[in-house]
Amino acid sequence: MPDTDSRLPVGFEGLEPLVSEWALDTQTQREIKRLRSTPEEIRGFYNAVMPRIRDILDEVDRFPIGELPEPHARLFALAFSLAEVAPNVELYGGDIQVTHNFDERRFDARHGDHPSPKGLAAR
Amino acid sequence: MQQTHVPRWAERYPGLGTEPLPVDSYTSPDHYALEQEKVFKKAWLIVGRVEEVPKAGDFKIKRIAVARTSVILMRGRDGEIRAFHNVCSHRANQVVAEKGEETFGRSPAATMFCGFHGWVYNAKGELINVPQEQSFYDCFEKKSAGLTQVHTGIWNGFVFINFSVSPRETLEENMREFDAHLGAYPFHDITYQFTYAAVLDCNWKVALDGFSEIYHLSHLHARTLPGSFTEGFEAIKLLGDHRTSALYLDTAAEFTELQKISNSYAVVSLMVQKGGSMLPPTINPERKANFGFELSPVFPNTIIHCTDGIWFTHQFWPVGYNRVLWEGKYYLRKPRTNSQMWAAHHAQTITRNVWLEDAGTLESTQKGLESGAKTHLILQDEEILLRHSHHILGKYINA
Repeated sequence: MPDTDSRLPVGFEGLEPLVSEWALDTQTQREIKRLRSTPEEIRGFYNAVMPRIRDILDEVDRFPIGELPEPHARLFALAFSLAEVAPNVELYGGDIQVTHNFDERRFDARHGDHPSPKGLAAR
Repeated sequence: MQQTHVPRWAERYPGLGTEPLPVDSYTSPDHYALEQEKVFKKAWLIVGRVEEVPKAGDFKIKRIAVARTSVILMRGRDGEIRAFHNVCSHRANQVVAEKGEETFGRSPAATMFCGFHGWVYNAKGELINVPQEQSFYDCFEKKSAGLTQVHTGIWNGFVFINFSVSPRETLEENMREFDAHLGAYPFHDITYQFTYAAVLDCNWKVALDGFSEIYHLSHLHARTLPGSFTEGFEAIKLLGDHRTSALYLDTAAEFTELQKISNSYAVVSLMVQKGGSMLPPTINPERKANFGFELSPVFPNTIIHCTDGIWFTHQFWPVGYNRVLWEGKYYLRKPRTNSQMWAAHHAQTITRNVWLEDAGTLESTQKGLESGAKTHLILQDEEILLRHSHHILGKYINA
């Protein structure tokens, strides 16, 4: 889904430069992005978004699940990417991998291609 | 070595012994063949949840390599879920096309239609239409040419199958003690689902064992779960073929910045102290505030874990003597707001990372077992769930 529009809701314009790289819809896309990043890149992203995470969550909570306008969906996708990289920054010393002896791409997330900001379909 | 504490579990369950376990059952193709015939074709196996096939005509097909078949579960118009081999009575083609290890679908007419020659079966497995029926010979009888049925049973929303012609025990008999312990847990209320799967080059019991002890938590998961759980299981109970135990959180554990924020939005998380308001009285009976989760292996290849508002399962499906399909399914209460949903995904990311760390040991363990370097595995008292699992396995194999 090539989305060239990178506008975010009012008040979050400062995060717009992150949108094209990090506003990713699905868990699988975010995991691949982490694995293709450098430790400096994930730390830079974490440092930029972390101070705004409570504001982001409060902003998206103005809407019901699945009904976010496009700029809010992009903002929310940044929050999901923060969740994806945070353990690596906070717990693994910036290492982009979770483990060194198992290739995590072999671990197939059957929900992994579902757009997270819309909520997973309950089965 | 000097014994510094009383082996509490071995003392409580002396019948399980304390000796090292031989490695043959992990490395022998002959032992695997015995497991196929005497365990996986005789025991009750969890293959789904009733919520996966909510309406008449809904179906799930699950491949079960260890039994060399695929099973189709379909809910009929009468509400009943039945299981059949996904094999046409005509010339044994797959009746319903499969898309992977698990295939979900819906037949509005609640029928199954073979794509090869167009034979049609209803949800009771009866053959109801055969194109050019008049061209078949007198020895062909439609009413005796239905799908081959597999026994099914339902316990607390879990759909079980049993491949034996006449199971030694009913599911109810087999699950009686387990039911007394976990029968009141509301699995059906908690349906927001994450699912992972991986095929690993190890014996299925290597994977099952890895998830059946918590001795490894403070080492293998030191990065992802620093100091999160207390040492050792509580409340181990043997429940017939099955067993249960409980983990408690270490109240001194420190959370990261994002975890603290996430915990403040989360409705539920494995890392947050819960106490257990919605748990049945059998689980965390003292209502300790630092209850983590109940870990309950169901023989032969499933572990059910549950806590307040979250439950998850691991299943280990043998593919060969040294290959396994591992499926991890994680369920939580449906989030009501975007921030709750984000917190749920954040907590789930931590869980995924723990599972990845678990995966990292399994293939190298199999290599070690196959090296021939060791003839036996040494178990400590806190690894008694593994011992019970091998004990029950032996009971089935020697039956």
